[in-house]
Amino acid sequence: MVNYIVSGLERSGTSMMMQILKMGGMKVAYDDKRPPDEHNPRGYFELEGGKIINRLIDGSFPIEMYDGMVIKVTAYGLRYLPDGYDYKVIYMLRDIDEIMASMSKMLNENLGDEDRRAFENLNKFALKIMRIREDMEYITVNYRDVIEHPRREIEMVNDFLGGVLDVESAVRAVDPALYRNRKENIVKEVNK
Amino acid sequence: MSEKQENKRRYTTVSIPTTLFKKIERRIEGTGFTSVSSYVTYVLREILAEDENGKEPFSKEDEERVKERLRALGYLE
Repeated sequence: MVNYIVSGLERSGTSMMMQILKMGGMKVAYDDKRPPDEHNPRGYFELEGGKIINRLIDGSFPIEMYDGMVIKVTAYGLRYLPDGYDYKVIYMLRDIDEIMASMSKMLNENLGDEDRRAFENLNKFALKIMRIREDMEYITVNYRDVIEHPRREIEMVNDFLGGVLDVESAVRAVDPALYRNRKENIVKEVNK
Repeated sequence: MSEKQENKRRYTTVSIPTTLFKKIERRIEGTGFTSVSSYVTYVLREILAEDENGKEPFSKEDEERVKERLRALGYLE
C-alpha cells in the first residue's frame, strides 16, 4: 500500500488539495482539533491540530494507521516521514509573495525578506528531499493553475494517483472566491 | 508488489566501525529514530540534499526562522 501525502509550504493551497481529493473520492484523514476560521473557511484538513510534524519528529505518529489514506504534512515535515513505507506526494507550489502576504495576514505582522528567503529555501530543500528519497514519488501542482484550470490540473493529479479520482466531483472543490491573496493585488497595495 | 516497488524497497548493507555503531545507538536513544539504519539513512539524505557546492539550501538560520513562524501560525509546538 501507499501513504498519500499532500504537502507544500503553509498557505500554498494544501487544504484546497485535501478538499479536492476528498471530493474526488479518496480516503482523507483529518481531525477537528483545528476548526475552520477566516483564513481557511472550509477547514485545515489536518491531523493533530496541525501539529503532526512534532509527532513525526519524536517518532510517535502512527503512520501505519493511514495506509492508503491521504494525510497533510507540510514542507518542513517531509524529512521526518519514517522509512519503511512508500509515499506518493502531491506538493503544492504558490507564488512566494502570495504565501508571505497570506501568512502576514494570519500573523497580523508583515513578514520581511529574511522570512521570505527562509521559506523559499525550505521549499527548495523539500523538493530536493523528495528527489533524493527513493521511497517517494511526487508531483508538483501550482495553486494558481488549479484555480484557473481546475479540470486540467485535477486530471494531471488523477493520472499521478492512478486514475482513482472522480474528476467531475473533485473539480467542484475548487472555489476561486477563496483565492484572495493574489500577486497582482499585493503589487497594487504596495503601489498605493 | 510491482517490480518498481520491489526496486524501491531494496536495501543493502554498509560497514561502519562497531564503536561508531554503538555511539549512534546511544545518540538515538529517546529520539524518533527506531534503528541505527534509519538514523544513518536520514543523515546521508541530509548530506545529499546539500547544494553541489556544499552549501546547505536550508541553513540552520533559515530553519530557526521557519520554526519560529510555524509556531506562531500554529503548525508546530
